This record gives sequence, structure tokens and C-alpha cells, in this order.
Amino acid sequence: MIAREQRLPRWVRRAVIAVAALGLLYVILGPLTSLDPAQQAGLPLLTDKLWFRIATTVAMFVVMAAGWNIIGGLTGYASFGNIAFFGLGAYAVGVLVSNQRWPFVAALIAAPIIAGLFGLLMGVALLRLRGHYFAVATLGVGVAVGEVVNNVPSLGASTGLFLPIVRSDLLFFYLMLGAALLAVIVTWVILRSRFGYGLLAIRENEEAAAVIGVNTTFYKVAAFCLAAALTGLAGGIFAQWNSFVNQENVFPISANVQMILMAVIGGTGTVLGPVAGAVVLELIIQTLAGGGTNAVYSQIGLGLLLMGCVIFIPRGVIDFFGGRSRLSLGYLRQTLRETSA
Amino acid sequence: MPPVVERLYSKEVVRRERFALIVGAAALLLTACGTSNNAGTSPSTGAPIVFGAAVSLTGAQSKEGGLTKQGYDMWLDWINQRGGIVVNNVKHPVQIKYEDDQSEANLSATLVQKLITDEKAQFILGPYGSAATATDAIVAEKDGIPMVEGNGAAQAIFNKGYKYTFGVLSPANKYLTGVLDMAATLSPKPATLAMLTANDNFSVEVAKAVEEYAPTKGIQVVFSKQYPAAAPDVSGLLSQAKAMNPDIVMNSGHLAEAIAINKAAKQLGVNAKIFAYSVGPSTPDFISALGPDANYVYDGSQWTPQVKYQPSFYLSVSDYVKAYQQKFGASAPPDYHVAESTAACLAFEKAIENAGSLDPGKVRDALAGLNVMTFFGQIKFDNRGINIYKPMVVEQIQNGVHYTVYPAAVANGKPLYPTPAWSTR
Amino acid sequence: MSQFTQQVILGLLLGGIYVAVALGFSLVWGVLNIVNLAHGALIMVGSYITWTLFARLHVDPFLSLPLDAIALFVIGYALQRGIINRVIRAPLLFTFLLTFGLNLVIVSLLLLLFTADFRSVTTTYSGAGLHLGSVVIPYIRLGGLLVALVLAGILWLILNRTRIGAGILAVGADRDAAQLVGIDLRHLYALTFAIGAAFAGVAGGIISTFQSITPTAGDPYTLQSFAVVILGGLGRVSATIVGGLAFGLIEVLGQSAPGLGSGYANAIAFVVLVLVLIVRPRGLLGRLA
Repeated sequence: MIAREQRLPRWVRRAVIAVAALGLLYVILGPLTSLDPAQQAGLPLLTDKLWFRIATTVAMFVVMAAGWNIIGGLTGYASFGNIAFFGLGAYAVGVLVSNQRWPFVAALIAAPIIAGLFGLLMGVALLRLRGHYFAVATLGVGVAVGEVVNNVPSLGASTGLFLPIVRSDLLFFYLMLGAALLAVIVTWVILRSRFGYGLLAIRENEEAAAVIGVNTTFYKVAAFCLAAALTGLAGGIFAQWNSFVNQENVFPISANVQMILMAVIGGTGTVLGPVAGAVVLELIIQTLAGGGTNAVYSQIGLGLLLMGCVIFIPRGVIDFFGGRSRLSLGYLRQTLRETSA
Repeated sequence: MPPVVERLYSKEVVRRERFALIVGAAALLLTACGTSNNAGTSPSTGAPIVFGAAVSLTGAQSKEGGLTKQGYDMWLDWINQRGGIVVNNVKHPVQIKYEDDQSEANLSATLVQKLITDEKAQFILGPYGSAATATDAIVAEKDGIPMVEGNGAAQAIFNKGYKYTFGVLSPANKYLTGVLDMAATLSPKPATLAMLTANDNFSVEVAKAVEEYAPTKGIQVVFSKQYPAAAPDVSGLLSQAKAMNPDIVMNSGHLAEAIAINKAAKQLGVNAKIFAYSVGPSTPDFISALGPDANYVYDGSQWTPQVKYQPSFYLSVSDYVKAYQQKFGASAPPDYHVAESTAACLAFEKAIENAGSLDPGKVRDALAGLNVMTFFGQIKFDNRGINIYKPMVVEQIQNGVHYTVYPAAVANGKPLYPTPAWSTR
Repeated sequence: MSQFTQQVILGLLLGGIYVAVALGFSLVWGVLNIVNLAHGALIMVGSYITWTLFARLHVDPFLSLPLDAIALFVIGYALQRGIINRVIRAPLLFTFLLTFGLNLVIVSLLLLLFTADFRSVTTTYSGAGLHLGSVVIPYIRLGGLLVALVLAGILWLILNRTRIGAGILAVGADRDAAQLVGIDLRHLYALTFAIGAAFAGVAGGIISTFQSITPTAGDPYTLQSFAVVILGGLGRVSATIVGGLAFGLIEVLGQSAPGLGSGYANAIAFVVLVLVLIVRPRGLLGRLA
């Protein structure tokens, strides 16, 4: 059954792009209104502390989802343990700043390097596994690393590491936003390079890719290292922003699941997919979480929403705007037919 | 940069300490005068005071979070019945806005920020658990909003020099040392101790304190091991402990593990003379889950319904118990998680009255200088912000009922010692 | 020496629980290619059914296991036929998301129905055990291990000696070819998931006897299931048995590992899993499917 692919009307696509551009402008320039000179000049306060908190968290998930996308979406190796890199980046900053008294900037440069090195190790050891086995092996590493740091005294053990409080919401937001932009740019560059083609080839058919001369091992490990470094950077920023690092904070298995959810819902294998997924899902989670004492109902709502998304939008949110589909009953019916038993 | 930041803090610490002492003294004087001045003039009503609380109503700690909320609600009803907190002869009714942090520390911090920024909370009541308290304390510190908590006992939180967080409960290191004090008075005196610890920040502190204190009481620690906080099964560790034939078996962990260890102890035939768990036996769930197997178990408790404190304000111990049973339709008295939460509210109430202002800085200073006796015990904070002045008591479950067995001054029962062997029960 | 024997026995008993928990998960994952993140929640449903029967009607937990199986079978069939079937042909990750959402919904419903109070099934014989010298084998745990082995046996029988089983294996091997020979895919998928859910329910019933249950207590079991199934290897019942027992042994023995603190037990278990996979990428007994 060949689908008739129709594009969204031009005006709809233009409107969406305009709204997204405005949104981006707001996100980049809005925080400046909270600076003292801006306040004194009489500009309206567009952002408050809560805004910064939520926005920084969303940016953090953008980095994580985009990082996962590189190894999971582009290369086809679904890793269930990327949280290990986040945690390692966070602990790197935590240990260097709190125990070794490094300045934050230096520690922040070290974080992705350390995470990337660990990604290298992990990649070389595990990337020969496929599919389910690779997924669970990475899961195992993710859990194991978290458990280990919870026991090592010089890493704070169960008490965790405390960093000196730095009171600047603006700084951390821009840092995290910068990391998110970096992740997006990196993905964009990859998709336009030979490296990217190689990764996609590996995803589609690894044997064939090897036959036509793609150095699969090198490419896979490189992709994993990149994903690790980006995720580690997010972790490093988080550590100082939160001023407190322990197993529960930086190795939560739930975040592992979330970053995959975001990349998939947004659309794996695309540049903006993880961004859309992270923004949409995290905003929904944050909004539902603030529901007061009836949070149980919000949880049910979120669960049903996720299930609905998966059933009706399996190609991801970005798919709507990629010109391949149309929001119509016909499309939904056709999707269901394609994916059902 | 970080060292500079730290140095600035220490100067601020010293300045604030001195200021706090002066304000505290003045506050006490004012309170003394205020009581006599207020006779005759009836206060007018002012704007409501908004408190914010992020508690775990869902997730792994939803049970304990629910108890925390109950404690806050107990005080809320009482204070609003009286018209509110009195500040400069104006009564301000109280509102508490709740958020559910789903037992996740990161979410807790975001929600506290939301309460402060969006919901205009002027003061923060603490969450359940040391992990969430640690992250929430940082938000309180950054925003300069005082937070008083009753459910996070890990001292690490208070060793960081935060100025805006106060804990009304006794710190973690006191949880099981009372049991050791009691053991030293019993005969035949127990000589050996086995400790099983969950590796989370609170439980490890409890265990460390026991390991340091036991030798001073002539009790030798023959076994001490940690298990991962989410361990499915600790019977392996318990059977290792059994081989050392300990007189005392202690667990430092949370409710689920306390139940599991007690069950495993019966299954493996571990016959210690004393079983003491840090958290768990004080809750009604422990008894209903284990039935008669719950008997003879001790725990260190922040508060029991048998304590004999004479409060200077709010309800007496027995009135509190009655009010709780009436409000929640419970046949069992409230456990200490409820009481310590109410105590946090009481600390705020007194501090606000003493400060005579709703300014966060002034209230914070009033809290630092607070010294008041309540149904929960003495509420006074050391210079780190934790209440080291209130003793813990030891409870034992006898015939399905909690009895306070130590110290003798507040006891309403004697310890049933030694615990009979499982096969004879 | 007897201390070591005791540890080994406790490890095997714990492993038995893992086998029971992982059987259903492995069946669904191996045949239907569904990663069921709601597995833990289904286990909890079984636990709560057993607990309710015990607390209200004083039904012995082991007697309530068949009831758990039937109830979860029905629930599982409905879930698969009604919801999960819609995404069966979608890539693996979509079932992952779907079951994640499902897990949220089921756990929240349990929270509403039963609150977060900790419950436990404590029978009169819950403390008794077989005493062999200084080694104790608690009856309840032994019962759990036996039930797990019986379940494994039943699963093997179903898969290898019945028509339904042949159908399930056929679908697992090549779904389109199976359809060609006339197998009703939707019904068979639902049946497979239902069997998996039934096993989860029975595992839940056993768990309620030695652990305290609360709606969120199922999530760790989902995590362990991942580890157990892959450690043993996908595709065969015997692989899951080996994986479960091995994982249980490692976890218990890890608590007495010399040198490292016993807090590393979880870390050790997962590191062993990763090492096994590095050396044997198909798991201990996995077949080259």
C-alpha cells in the first residue's frame, strides 16, 4: 500500500517556522531583561527564577536527547546507558571543583573529555554487540557506574559532593543553551558529512556498509564518543548549577528513559527531532508536575498522552513538519494500518 | 573563584551569627513584654502568609510524604482556627501550598522554586527525606527564603554553612545511640553488635555514629556491612551476621528494609537479644505487615506519644494525639514523622512572632535564635541550623502496641529484654 | 564452609524469584519483540491480588497463585489486543515508549486503589524453614523457587508440546511466513502477551510473601528482568533459568565479596553482566537466532 504523501500547505509551514524563530529569539534574548542595566532601563522582566530553572532543565534534556540521537538515531545503536556519561561529567566537575579546587571553567572543559574517554572505552568494548544485547549491556554500565560512585569515599559516597553555590541563573542558562546549540550544530554537521553518511549506512545495513568500505568500528566508536562528550558536558554544567551531586541526582535511570523518549517522539535521525521532543515532553512533564496534590491524575494523564503519541505519531512530531504527512484522519488511519498487527 | 566565594561566606557567617544573637535576645525580651501588652487590644486581620511545601505524595516515598503533609495540616487547622499568626498585633491567616515532588530530589528543587516564584510562598516547609532536603536547601539559600524542615536528618546538609535551612529534628547520628544507652542499663548486658546499613546519606550517618559510640559503652561491633539502597534481598548479609552471634542486631535503612530484615531474621533463625531498626518500627505499617513478628523490636524515635514535655504554646502531647486521631480517623496515635512536621511549623510560627515581621532575613535570624519548648520537645538550633538539643527516645513494640522504654523519665513501659528466640514465640 | 553453603542457597532462592519474574518478560521480548516496561507493574498487580485475597479472605498465598495467573492472563490479553497490537510493527523503541506510558498509568491506578502503604503477606509458617545442620532453607523461599521451576516447566511444555506453542515459536521466527500458513497473528500475539502477563502475576504473588509491596516496588524488577534475560540469552526457557539463578547467586555472593564493601553488590552484578556480554555476546545460553 503506497501512501499518498501530501505536503502541509505552505502557509502552515511558514507560520510554524515564524513561531519557532520568535520562540528562539525570546529564549536567547529574554533572559537579558533580568540583568540590572536592563531593569534600570525600564524593560519588562521577561524571565523569573522559575523560568530559568525550567528553561535550563529543558536545554539540558535537549543536549541529552541530541547526544543520544547521534548513537541511537543516526547510527542505529540504541544505548540504554547514556546517563552514565551525564553522571560522569557531573562527578568530574564535582570532584575537581569541590575536592581539587579547580576553577569551574577548567573543570567544565575536563568533563566532556573525561566522559568522552569513558565513551571510547565503553564503545570499544561494547559496540560489537547488536540490538537488544547492546542495549542491555549499556544499561548495565549505566547502573553499575552509578552504584560504584555511591560507594567510593573519595567521590563522596552516599553523602554526595557539595559545590560552592554560584548565584547566577543567567550564567547557567546560557551555558546550557550553548551546549544545546552545540549539540544541534554537531548533529547538523554530521548529517552533512561523509561521517554522517557512514553512520546512516551502518544503521541501514552494517554488513553492506563494511563491504563498501566504511570503517564501521571507527565510525561507531567515534559516534559514541561524541554522544558521550556532549552528554558529559550537560552533566558538568548541571553539577555546578545544582551545587550538589550524588547518585540519585545524576544517575537517575528515569532520565535515561526520558532522553530516549524525547529523541523518539521528536523523530530520531533528524537534526531538530530531539530538540522538538525534548522541549515538548519536558514542558509537559514540568507543567503536569506542578499540579499540586493531585499529581497522581497528572501521571495517568502523562501516561495516556505518551501512549497516544506513540500510537498515532510513530514517526515523530517532526514528521508533521517534514513535509511527509498531513494532519488528517486518512494519515492516522494509514499509520495505524502500517504499524498494527 | 570558588575559594573566594567560600571566604565571603565565612565573613557573612560571623556577621550573621552576632546579629542573630542580638536579635534573638531582643526577640525573647519582646516576647516577654508582648504577652503582657497584648491583653485588651484585639488584633486586626492581615494578608495571608503563604507557606510552600514540596512533599512526596507519589513515588517510592509517598507513604512518608503523606505523613509529613498530615503534620503540616494539623498545625494549619489549629493556627487558622485562632485567626492566624500574630505579627505586630495583626493576625495573618495561613495558607500552605503543596506540590508533589514524586520522591525525586531534582523535581523537588524545581517545585520549591515554583512555589517561591509562581505561588509566592514566603517561607518553605521541608520535604521528606535527606536527599530532597539537600537539594531544596540550595534553592532556599539561593533565593534567601527560610526553610524549616522536620524530615531530613543527615548532618551533611547542615555542615555546608547554609544560613537559610533549619532542621527541628535530632540529627542522624542520634537515631540509634539511645538504644545503646538503654542496652548499657540492661542485664545481662549485651556485648556484641551487628550493623546492616543501606548506603544512602542518612543511613550511613546513623551507622557511623553507632560504630563510634558502641565501644564507649562496652559493646563490640562484630559485624558492619552496607547494602545497596535498592537491594532486593539482604538475607545474605543477615546470615553472615548470624554467624558472628551478635547480641544486638541493628539496621539503618528505611521501612521496606526493616520489614524485609525482620522477616529474614525469623526465617534464618537469627536470635538476637535486641533488634533495633532506625526507621520503620514507628510506623503502623510495620505492625500491620508483620503481625506478631513485629513484637520486641526497638527503634530510635524523634518523638512518641508518651513523652512528658510541657509545651509553652500549641497543644499538649495528649491533646495532639486526640486531635490527630479525630482529624484523620485513625485508631493509632500519630508516628513521629507527623509530629516532627508539625514541629517545623511551630518553629516558623514562633520565629515569625518573635521577629515581628515577615521579612525573610528577619525571620531567618529569629529562627537562628529560637529556643522554645513544645509538645515535640525543645526546639533550638545549633549554629549549623540543626536541633541538637532535643533527645531521641527509644520505643519498643510490645503486643502490637508501641511503648516508650527509654529514657526512664519519659518511659511508659519497661524494655522486654531479652527478646525470646523465634521458635519459642 | 557452611556459611558459604548458606550464601549459595540464599542466592539460588533469590535466583528462583528472578526466574519467575523474567520468564514472562523473556517470552514477550523474544517472540513479540516488545520491551515491556510495564512488566514490573503487572507483577505488582499480581502481588496486590494475592495480598487482597490473603488479607480479606485469608486465602493462602500459594493457593492464590492460579487466580493471579488467570486474572493477569485476561488483563494481558486485553492490553495486547486493544493497545499494544497497534504498534507491533513499529520499530522496537516505540513499544518501549508505549509500555513506559502504560507503566505510568498502571502504577498510578494502583496508587489510587491501594495507597502507598506498605503491605506484606505474613503467614503463620512464614518463619519456618528446613534446618540442615547450621544451614537454613526458609520454606516460603523454597516454595517460591519450586513455583518458578514449575512455571518454567509449564512454559517449556506450552512452547514445545502444544499447537499454540508451535504457533508462538513460528511467529517469533518469521512473522510473515507464519501468517502465510494461516496463523491469526493478532490472536496469537495477544495469547503470548497474556501468558507472559500471567507468569508476571504469579511472580508477583510469590514476591508478596517475602517482601513488602507498594505500587512503585515493581520497577526494580523490570530492571532485573533486563539483566536476567540478556545474561541468560534470548530464545530459550533454559537460558532464562540459568540467567535468573546466576544473577541471584551473583547478587548474594557479591554481598560477601572480599575486599570491596558489600554496598557494591549491585554494581558487581551489573559489571558481571557486562563482562559476560563482552565475552559471550549472545548471553550464557543464547542461541544464534
